[in-house]
Amino acid sequence: MIQLNDVEIGYKSKKGAVSVFKHLNIEFHTGDLIGLMGDNGIGKSTLLKTITGTLKPLSGQVLLDGKNSNSYSAAELARYLSIVITEKIGGFNLTAWDVVASGRTPYINLFGKLQQEDKDIIEASLQKLNLVPLKDKLIDELSDGQRQKVMIAKSLAQQTPVIILDEPTAFLDYNSKHQLFCVLKDLCEKENKLIIVSSHDLDLMKVYINRSLTLMEHNVVEIH
Amino acid sequence: MTQGKFIFNTLFLLVLVALLTIGDLCFGSINLFSLNSGDPLFSTILYDIRLPKTLTCMIAGSALAICGLLMQSLFRNPLAGPYVLGVSSGASLSVAIATMVLTSIHISGMFFVGKGIITLFSIAGAFFVTIIILMVSKRSKSNVTVLLVGLMLSQILGATEGLIQYVSSADSVKTFVMWSMGSVGSTTLSDIWFLAPFTFILIGLGFCLIKPMNAILLNEHYAQNLGVNIHKLRISVIVITSVLVGLITAFCGPIAFVGISVPIASRLFFKTSHHLHQMVFCILIGACVLLAADIICQVISNQFTLPVNTVTTLIGSPIVIYLLFKSKLSIG
Repeated sequence: MIQLNDVEIGYKSKKGAVSVFKHLNIEFHTGDLIGLMGDNGIGKSTLLKTITGTLKPLSGQVLLDGKNSNSYSAAELARYLSIVITEKIGGFNLTAWDVVASGRTPYINLFGKLQQEDKDIIEASLQKLNLVPLKDKLIDELSDGQRQKVMIAKSLAQQTPVIILDEPTAFLDYNSKHQLFCVLKDLCEKENKLIIVSSHDLDLMKVYINRSLTLMEHNVVEIH
Repeated sequence: MTQGKFIFNTLFLLVLVALLTIGDLCFGSINLFSLNSGDPLFSTILYDIRLPKTLTCMIAGSALAICGLLMQSLFRNPLAGPYVLGVSSGASLSVAIATMVLTSIHISGMFFVGKGIITLFSIAGAFFVTIIILMVSKRSKSNVTVLLVGLMLSQILGATEGLIQYVSSADSVKTFVMWSMGSVGSTTLSDIWFLAPFTFILIGLGFCLIKPMNAILLNEHYAQNLGVNIHKLRISVIVITSVLVGLITAFCGPIAFVGISVPIASRLFFKTSHHLHQMVFCILIGACVLLAADIICQVISNQFTLPVNTVTTLIGSPIVIYLLFKSKLSIG
């Protein structure tokens, strides 16, 4: 479970702190598929970055399973939450299998050697998203929808109870968007994962999510 | 890449290194096979000239290839390398200062400048640039900014080097120009005893970065989410590469092409992204490239020895361009 206790989110700059939102009190529970909505630049990514620990809250506490997120080491955080972002990856001979295998980074030794258990988890993650036929393909050869699925499979291989996706439908066509949300809903229901998705596809999200959070100017509207 | 394929490819490259080593030891103005092993000339040529040169080729080729690989992966850019970040230019400018300014200082009739001074200056120059790059990387989270600053630094340092050459004496300019062409033939066995342990330790430290380097190939955000401390990784890579480049540049002069092209060739040939495989392949291919270049230098003319830089660039670069056009694979 993730808890935001009187959190103020924003950035620190030379001129001082730039506050984006104040007094955020939100709880996210396991098994929930949560849709995060709001206009461009309103602060969705800032909120997600604060939850993932990339940005520190200006004030207040972000609690991950009751423990302050600041007290988590990088390795502990890597085992607690995984991210899927819009930034495209590719090149350097990276195959779908390599990308999914990178999800095992927090669990493997210094030389990156995968044990049989890691390989089994990678295969299972690929299978869950029907990616086995594509596993040896270069990531550059995959469609945007397939890439997003590979990134979600990476998150599965990372075995985190929380997955955070920042605008995962940005480059997808209509069918791929639906397929993606089907996969996410399935993961929440079957694997009891907490998934937070930010998106502008309001109508589409409403079909799948069981809770929405809309960021408006100086106000957060929550609909269960 | 499967374990079997990795072992097979490693063995194949090891055989290639062994063959090129034998070739490099034997080729030259005097054929070693034509001499009796008891002949004093035989041991002089083998131990004082050929063996240090061959070992230098292996050490310098491996070290520069590893530097290129680490930088290309860190910046996720196949154009990254010691030259692009200005580290080589920093080392080169320092050596220029040492050879052209300090040669005017005479101590008891002897030139003040020796290999020890050159090495210290070279490493100091590489470190100086590294510190600037580190400061930039602290202020900017963008790798592109760091790369651009490196490029600009290269230009500034190159221009300063030109200025020093312009005001220096003809003799010292000649000494520096010969050094700047790159040579693997000026090392002795005692130089190797100094160069080899440092290179092995630094390459060994590079092997400790395999896990974070694999993760950073996705991008910095994902790597951070996978538990990688990006800042620590940047510092580690920059320190390892700058000391390696400083060392190799001091002993061999600035050797172009190897650092940038060997990792590209390794990716194209072996189609792997895992850094354990890439590092092993880069070490072996780097050694092969410099050994082959040195053999070509010997074969082309018996009268004089061509600078190794000329051969690596003239022959190697078109091969890589051909491979890049022929291959449909993306390499970076």
